[in-house]
Amino acid sequence: MEKLLEVKDLEVSFQTYAGEVKAVRGVNFDLYKGETLAIVGESGSGKSVTSQTIMKLIPMPPGKISNGQILFDGEDLVPKTNKEMEKIRGKDIGMIFQDPMTSLNPTMKVGMQIIEVLIKHQNMSKGNAKDRAIELLRLVGIPSPEKRVNQYPHEFSGGMRQRAMIAIALASNPKLLIADEPTTALDVTIQAQILELMKDLQKKMETSIIFITHDLGVVANVADRVAVMYAGKIVETGTVDEIFYNPKHPYTWGLLSSMPSLDSDEKTELMAIPGSPPDLTNPPKGDAFAPRNRYAMKIDFEKEPPMFKISETHYAATWLLHPDAPKVEPPEAVKRRMKNFSSDKLRKG
Amino acid sequence: MNEMAEKQKLVEIKNLKQYFNIDKPNMVKAVDGITFDIYKGETLGLVGESGCGKSTTGRTIIRLYNATGGEVLFNGENVHGRKSRKELKKFNRKMQMIFQDPYASLNPRMTVADIIAEGIDIHGLAKNNAERMEQVYTLLETVGLNREHANRYPHEFSGGQRQRIGIARALAVKPDFIIADEPISALDVSIQAQVVNLMKKLQEEKGLTYLFIAHDLSMVKYISDRIGVMYFGKIVELADANDLYSNPIHPYTKSLLSAIPLPDPNYERNRKRIIYDPKEHGYSDNEEVKLREIRPGHLVSCSEKEFQEYKSHYS
Repeated sequence: MEKLLEVKDLEVSFQTYAGEVKAVRGVNFDLYKGETLAIVGESGSGKSVTSQTIMKLIPMPPGKISNGQILFDGEDLVPKTNKEMEKIRGKDIGMIFQDPMTSLNPTMKVGMQIIEVLIKHQNMSKGNAKDRAIELLRLVGIPSPEKRVNQYPHEFSGGMRQRAMIAIALASNPKLLIADEPTTALDVTIQAQILELMKDLQKKMETSIIFITHDLGVVANVADRVAVMYAGKIVETGTVDEIFYNPKHPYTWGLLSSMPSLDSDEKTELMAIPGSPPDLTNPPKGDAFAPRNRYAMKIDFEKEPPMFKISETHYAATWLLHPDAPKVEPPEAVKRRMKNFSSDKLRKG
Repeated sequence: MNEMAEKQKLVEIKNLKQYFNIDKPNMVKAVDGITFDIYKGETLGLVGESGCGKSTTGRTIIRLYNATGGEVLFNGENVHGRKSRKELKKFNRKMQMIFQDPYASLNPRMTVADIIAEGIDIHGLAKNNAERMEQVYTLLETVGLNREHANRYPHEFSGGQRQRIGIARALAVKPDFIIADEPISALDVSIQAQVVNLMKKLQEEKGLTYLFIAHDLSMVKYISDRIGVMYFGKIVELADANDLYSNPIHPYTKSLLSAIPLPDPNYERNRKRIIYDPKEHGYSDNEEVKLREIRPGHLVSCSEKEFQEYKSHYS
């Protein structure tokens, strides 16, 4: 498969009164054409900063890309000026934000917000653009789009606004769509509709999607591959089956066993991850997860683990994968998942 | 909660109604005649989508709103209706609330000690300052914080820690009944489990009764003994938590359950979503639609005709 995006050693920091916050500390990942990569992590893990950096949407200063490359279609986006980025943003890369109320322009008709994109990036005439805008609204499932195109965002419900956002993002057939928690503010039934819509459109248009979320259920639904972020780094990455049925990093174990599943035995206590994420003005020495990790060894507090390879697609940064490390038992909930992985493989084999 | 015979009603909600903008064109029937009981020591989960009236139900029960109609009995006494200040104070001690937003629900200008002790002061539960602070320290430790936190301000805490402060404040007046309105939805996944475990532990230790309002159905199932599903101001189904998930009867419950994505890729690949259309019931005007008991403890909103169908199907 062809690579659309390569992020290499990306480091982003912010200057604040309290000191320099190292929000992204060396992130590497690739994105292939037509696939969906989900980035999961807690608030403050750097997942949103990573995606905003790809769009070059972080305010600079106080933000700074202190290291790394973002190769989009082979071209590095890091040295690009704001003017050059304006030609890429909205055209080759579209973005959907979490909160559709604050990301649509409240003083502008919804249709006009789509037409604007079409005129700027597709060189359409205003008449053609309006027809296309109606077509796009119909495509994202908005009923009576001829009427809706002339309405303002406040006349739309939350789910409808998110659909309108998707229509704007898709107006110029972007190669890459970045969706930052696009369904977090929505109800489950509306969420299900939006996810189905995104998958449908992806199939039709062969868009690559970076999907940022903290909801593991949504990840299991949309992702081809998953990257788990913690304290500004990717700690584990793999295919969706590898992450859910054969996770290797204790943080991934923690995430998967801290939420109840609908078929779980309710009387067992949830395995909460103790403590809270580290302060990134002063990242801890060694593995940033070590203080919350019940499997932490001495080396975790001294030296950062490299990415260990588990398969061609599966990597994890934990010393537990070092050949000299003691064998540890993952939590019960994870062991139950692992059974699924092996049986799944057998079926395929 | 297994001894059915031992079940004692703590809260009885009878035909509760809460309308807004009454007699105006934009009248909203946020809660439209709901009836249910909450038993001593249990957790009743209330789920539904935004705008279904679940939060309004919680707020009306604790009298943050004056009910439009119906009554709420707490230990057999009506919470609504005419009350003197003294009588109200008595209720306020027995019923407490934990809010969704741990940032907006703590006064930023008060120290943690003052926030937690506000109820203690109002109800005169401490004889002197030393005793007051002793209670605050104990509460902080109960919710997993420590006594050094007492003199700090809310902004110095993370979301999970603030929610613990909110829980300590609710516990300060030794309530019997706590209404938790989406207490974990603003928190990160890894922190949600901490707060839920804490709430479960406190319930066991202090014999608390919870009304747990949420839209995250997997967490609700985990914490609740029974669950009520709300749709447009009405309860459409009320049943034992496991029973509701394994044998949903009302088409709306089925549709809600089928919409939840689970952290299991194989399940997700095969999940079929059921779409609910309220018109599918085809109720005529003279049909009475109300909660009826299909199986012991399993109530479903239905007409007489549907009742017979459900009964032959599911019991």
